[in-house]
Amino acid sequence: MAMTDIVGIAVSTIILGSIYGLVAIGMTLIYGTLRILDMSQGSMVMVGSFIAWGILVVAGWNPALAIIAAFIATFILGALTQLVSVQPLMRRRSAIDFEMVTFITTFAVAMVLTNVALELFGPFQRNVTPVISGGISIYHGVDLPYQSLTMALVSIAMMAALGVFLARTRWGMAIRAVAQDLDAARLMGVPVGKLYPLTMGLASALAGVAGVFLGGLYFAYPQAGDLPLLEALIVVIFGGLGSLPGTVYAAYAIGLIQSAAEVIVGTTWSLPILYGVILLVLIIRPYGLLGKPSEARL
Amino acid sequence: MSDRQPLTRSAFPAMTSGRWALAGLAVLLAAAMPLVMTNQYALGVMITTLILLVLNISWNFVLGVAGVWNFGQLALYALGGYGAGIIMLHSSLSPWLALLAGGLVAMVAAILLAFPTLRLYGIYTSLLTFAFAEVIQYVILNDGSGLTGGSFGLPIVPGLYSALSLAASAKAYYWTALAVVVISTVLLAAIGHSRLGIALRGIRDAPAYAAARGVDPLRYRIGAFAISGFLAGVAGGLYVSYDQSISPSVMGLTPMSVYVTMLVIGGLGTATGPILGTILVQLVATLLVTHPGAEFTILGIFLLVVVIFVPDGLAGMIGRYWRRIAAWAAEGEQTETEAADAAGETEGSPDQHVA
Repeated sequence: MAMTDIVGIAVSTIILGSIYGLVAIGMTLIYGTLRILDMSQGSMVMVGSFIAWGILVVAGWNPALAIIAAFIATFILGALTQLVSVQPLMRRRSAIDFEMVTFITTFAVAMVLTNVALELFGPFQRNVTPVISGGISIYHGVDLPYQSLTMALVSIAMMAALGVFLARTRWGMAIRAVAQDLDAARLMGVPVGKLYPLTMGLASALAGVAGVFLGGLYFAYPQAGDLPLLEALIVVIFGGLGSLPGTVYAAYAIGLIQSAAEVIVGTTWSLPILYGVILLVLIIRPYGLLGKPSEARL
Repeated sequence: MSDRQPLTRSAFPAMTSGRWALAGLAVLLAAAMPLVMTNQYALGVMITTLILLVLNISWNFVLGVAGVWNFGQLALYALGGYGAGIIMLHSSLSPWLALLAGGLVAMVAAILLAFPTLRLYGIYTSLLTFAFAEVIQYVILNDGSGLTGGSFGLPIVPGLYSALSLAASAKAYYWTALAVVVISTVLLAAIGHSRLGIALRGIRDAPAYAAARGVDPLRYRIGAFAISGFLAGVAGGLYVSYDQSISPSVMGLTPMSVYVTMLVIGGLGTATGPILGTILVQLVATLLVTHPGAEFTILGIFLLVVVIFVPDGLAGMIGRYWRRIAAWAAEGEQTETEAADAAGETEGSPDQHVA
């Protein structure tokens, strides 16, 4: 293997891993606090892409504005998703298979969002102008577009900000408290009713911001969220459900597997190889890399 | 869904003689359909619905009764379809044997899939089985030998009734599919109340307790996967013979989401749920065939409403109203008969046979 390939794989790993991390970390946050695998996260990526298209292409405004608008819009959408598809089930959570039921309800939300977008915008793939154009050549034949670099940096910054938010702020500590012990948190006066929509809104906002960048890499179209959702699911389960560090490691591990597969055997086989690896990991380590059967999370 | 069904020794505890008569009447009406239906398009939709029903009934068994999040069912369906189709194309064997062989191919794959799912629970199972389906789809798509035809699928497959005229073969397919639906419904309902079904529900609702009582999860889960896989394979074989072709597009996220919607709206884990859900969703889909966006938006909202407000699905809701009507009709009679009525007619009522 040539040096170019190795540098290429390394660069691509960091970029892919960062963007997977951004989408997947929201799912982990939601799973850790609410025990829900939120299937609507993919649609939030799609919504983010469409917002980027609307602001950058249709209106021609500043990219920073697109990121902020996507953050706010998907935050609201995520909080609403929680209120509509999860909150009504909270009272019955001990009487039903909560994980499976919410899996289905959030999936229904994803179905609605995808198809509302299909009705509004049609099935066409729309070009989203990159947030930043241009790039630098870092090694013979390996180019690093500024778009990808920004994407990786923003992803890492947002993951770090989330870490600080969870560790230092009052609301972050409340989220962790709920993740560890719901009843104890409630007894300590944590407003669980407000915390749940906040958590889901925050996670959705991360996915929405990821969508702004992914829209520039691929396109904005109604099914734009399907692949990121699938990849995020793989990352989340690979890393162990509900474990934030596990998710970050898994994001880069998956990024590495995928970029190496793309360079070595070609793009068409990268996804099946990924699935093959996942099959093996789940057979050998049924709870993922850092997952625990059902103990304290986050 | 944690529907606690009564665990009884009788093969069909919920069936009274009146219910048998009603079910028989429904089957007769369904069987008479092609005689009065002259619209070939409508007949085609009904045949497709019946074939889907076989698939959904098989899926309901492993998803609803056994409670295993198996999202690889469409791969088993495709394996059965490709298996049967390839045999029909490349050999002079009877197409009926090819159909059977398709079922067996899917059954073997299902048994192999059952082993790794044993160590996993819930959502991990769904990812593993979904990954299995994706790998199968990739193998079919990128098959270098030309056996599967890649993304175009199998070319014109002769099918079961290649000797008949178009109109006659449509009728024949309708009755064949209907027969398979009826047989599999009755069979799986009986199995659901047999030793196997009771063990599966025990493992689903209280795994630790079931294990402590000596219920071997490996044996019963393999049994469940084998039965469900065989039926899914037969459904695939029916599909390939009626459609005369099969392509990898029968798998994937979009068809899967429609079928899950059918099962959940109808009532997961019930015998009549898949039938109600499949017919209803297929009706909505056919009416809105020109507006795919609107179709799925409506289905999504419908799914959300059903899961939140009617967790046991349409089958459960109808059962509850039925009981209320029965209770109202029996009002004034002895309380004992009323209790027996209620216990016999609803799933989820406290059971007197076991207690």
